[in-house]
Amino acid sequence: MSNNTIPVGSLVPLSGPSAIDGGEFRKGLLLAVEEINERGGILGRRVVPVFADTGRQSADEVVAAAARLIKENRVHAIINGYNIGPQNSEYETVADAGIIYINHNTLLQHHDTVQSNPSRYFGCFMANPAEYWYGQGLIKFLSWLRDTGQWQPSSNRIAIVSGSKPYSIVIANAIANAAGKYGWSIGYGPRVVSTPRSEWHDIIKELKACEPAVIANTHFYAGDLAAFQRQFFEAPCNALVYLQYGAMHQAFADLAGQSARGVIVSAVTGLLRDQVGEEFGRRYLERFGADSTPQIGCQCYNAMHHFAIAASVAGGTGGPGDLEQNRKVAKALIDIPYRGVAGTIKYHPSWQAAVPFPDHVHDPSLGMPHLFYQVHNATGRLALIAPAPYNVEKFFLPDWYR
Amino acid sequence: MSQHAIADTPDIADIAGGLDAMEDGIGIFEADRVLLHANRSFLTAFECLSSLGRQFTYGDFVAHLARSGEIVLPLSAEHWITLELSQYGTRRKSEYLLADGRTLEFGHHAAVSGGLTVVLRDVTAAKSLEAMLRRTKAEAETSNETKSRFLRAANHDLRQPLSTLKILIFSCMQEQEEEHRRDLLHAMDISVSIMEDLLGALLQIGQLDAGQIVPRVSTFQLSQIFERIGLQFSHQARERGLKLRFVQTRATVVSDKALLERILTNLVANAIRYTDVGGVVVGCRRSGSGIRVEVWDSGKGIAEQHKSRIFDEFYQINHDRHSRKKGLGLGLNIVQRLAGLLGHRVGVRSVEGSGSVFSIEMPIGDVWQSDTVASEVSEMVGGEFAGTPVLVIEDDAVLQDAMRELLERWGFRVTAVQTEEDALEVIANAGERPALIIADYSLRGQFGTDVLQKIMAAAGGHIPALIVTADVEPRIISEIQAAGLPVLIKPISPPRLRVMMHNLLFEPGSVTAGRPE
Repeated sequence: MSNNTIPVGSLVPLSGPSAIDGGEFRKGLLLAVEEINERGGILGRRVVPVFADTGRQSADEVVAAAARLIKENRVHAIINGYNIGPQNSEYETVADAGIIYINHNTLLQHHDTVQSNPSRYFGCFMANPAEYWYGQGLIKFLSWLRDTGQWQPSSNRIAIVSGSKPYSIVIANAIANAAGKYGWSIGYGPRVVSTPRSEWHDIIKELKACEPAVIANTHFYAGDLAAFQRQFFEAPCNALVYLQYGAMHQAFADLAGQSARGVIVSAVTGLLRDQVGEEFGRRYLERFGADSTPQIGCQCYNAMHHFAIAASVAGGTGGPGDLEQNRKVAKALIDIPYRGVAGTIKYHPSWQAAVPFPDHVHDPSLGMPHLFYQVHNATGRLALIAPAPYNVEKFFLPDWYR
Repeated sequence: MSQHAIADTPDIADIAGGLDAMEDGIGIFEADRVLLHANRSFLTAFECLSSLGRQFTYGDFVAHLARSGEIVLPLSAEHWITLELSQYGTRRKSEYLLADGRTLEFGHHAAVSGGLTVVLRDVTAAKSLEAMLRRTKAEAETSNETKSRFLRAANHDLRQPLSTLKILIFSCMQEQEEEHRRDLLHAMDISVSIMEDLLGALLQIGQLDAGQIVPRVSTFQLSQIFERIGLQFSHQARERGLKLRFVQTRATVVSDKALLERILTNLVANAIRYTDVGGVVVGCRRSGSGIRVEVWDSGKGIAEQHKSRIFDEFYQINHDRHSRKKGLGLGLNIVQRLAGLLGHRVGVRSVEGSGSVFSIEMPIGDVWQSDTVASEVSEMVGGEFAGTPVLVIEDDAVLQDAMRELLERWGFRVTAVQTEEDALEVIANAGERPALIIADYSLRGQFGTDVLQKIMAAAGGHIPALIVTADVEPRIISEIQAAGLPVLIKPISPPRLRVMMHNLLFEPGSVTAGRPE
């Protein structure tokens, strides 16, 4: 690698079950790097992206890929989407090298790891809010629908089903913890069921017994969620259905079909439907084709641009071992908020994670929006219904609601 | 003589130059009121004088100034002109506030010849200093007054419980009988709590007097405050045989969380204090664009003649002279003053003998803006293991501490013991079974696998568990495998421990017995 270039690594699942998302993470980073280089790079040095496949995203695979990027490619930073499974094991490799690592793991665990030794993990950043905020945000969203009269819940009860992965359990617990403060009660659960799972009839029967006003399933596999929704739709009740992340994927819409119309989903990082977001979407599709997904690629795209600005302000990047320079970059990342195509990345000074709006901060210019969508039709089009000022469409009562 | 005559004479020109160097404006008028000379500061003191040039009379000066709007006059412009002209030649000083915020002193000095010298002096800095000194003095006086009142009140109200306490301590020292001693200690406890309340209330009054309480308004769920006050008073209400009920609310309000809690705490404390039978209910209802929180009690009520004075400082209604714990007469005063700071309206309805309803009204908030979470969000609060009870059996104190620290950071509620005996005691006495057990393999001559077997027998059922060991000998690993337990090799990798605990609790199908990790 030439001295006049800056190698930036990326830990992406290019094979395995998350390869579709991995491909988009790669495209997002590529587009950002192309734009940065077109403008002259970082202080005149071209950025060279290096991708390492994390396969099934196990701890061993992710840690080995991180080590490879650092030892063989001497990367100055690693910027990527999420890697489920390693439980932040890769942080150790990154911390040993003293480089910048920006991920979208969406894990509350990040807060604790960073805060357990801020000096060691100075370079570790999570560019989206932790999964914990899904729970807090959902309760506020439901209360907003109720308090503004858009929806009159049949009761104050919420039924919560969780998949068996930590991500799902944390979200389910967070929903349960926040509910009481807003006048909701937990009628069922949080029930942790072993996943993957395609058979939900028994669970649906059990949870319907409490006559819930809301049913929340925090498992996140698109296919399993589609099965859940189809089975609920066979004999529905007057409840809103909230499904976690996987329900945003086209695969969910394809499998759930008509039964999905009215389902609520949300994302703590998503592409905005304003001018900034739409222009990015257009560039992304032009560059990578109509079958690509800017909604996922936007994450790495945002984070890469933010890194480039911070590194430029800090006077350049630093390779493995150059802790002095990398600390300057880390400081600039915290000091300078970045309003990108998915809202604002404003790193919390202690968590080193993006702060969510409106779940934690009330100023949209200082937080990454937690976006709420409703499946609008059988093709899976998602209507962005909250929060203001980002919402562009209105909530409607689902078809199964009587 | 005209002003030009002065300027034509070289010596006089020097004098004029010297006068121009002065910051004060000096205008010398002759007996016929015509301007003899004015220095630069005088001529430039007011914008309106620029149109007069250097030849004008005192009358022109006064009239232009009065009508310019450049100074704040104490009278109408015409009256002021008349007054000023009538006082020509008298020695006096007056101050005027200028439109630009400065203060100018007009010094009128009568000349022997019948003329007048007017000196304009900018006294803004001096006035500002004077005002600051006045404020400081007033603050010091208020502070002194507050201190005196504080001391008077403290002297008056603290003496009573203190002297009671003194007698009780003396009696307690003499008392041999255990039951009487307990009664005396209970009475001492009451005296101390009266003093605590008094000091707390006086401190709040002191802070209010000193203007030290600055509201921090935010949006939050009212239920948070209800929950805290409920916890604070439930015991006290029960002790007095009263029912204390908080009607569940989902209201989002805009207020200062701490100050509103203080207000409601005072209202609930009062309601409990003045209620002997029945109970206290706290609830809220919508009132126009706001929310009204109401505290209902079935107490003594307030007679008509007291209603207008109950919010006064130290005002008390003496319902019962023999009451063991009377009020201090400060609670409602604090309520009203805090409500005033927040702009909330306080109300009271009462029927003597039937009870009272005190209320406070505040604006409704936007639920999106509601602030419900702790500022520090961590796994301890919201992680997948938050609140999960775990039992650690480790005989090495250093390792046990490290393990406890790690697990607590992840949100576990940790009970750590060193021996089988202690572990069995925990199982026998604890109100709940641990959800998970982590046991060292070598426990002072015993094997962790055996200890776990005994614990599960004592608990009457299977508890997910794992073994940790520094020994990698295949025979030991086989023994652990035979016991159906998973194992981690020391030094333990936190991510591996975490994954294993997650699997044991939530995905037991993915746990393999004996395979060292």
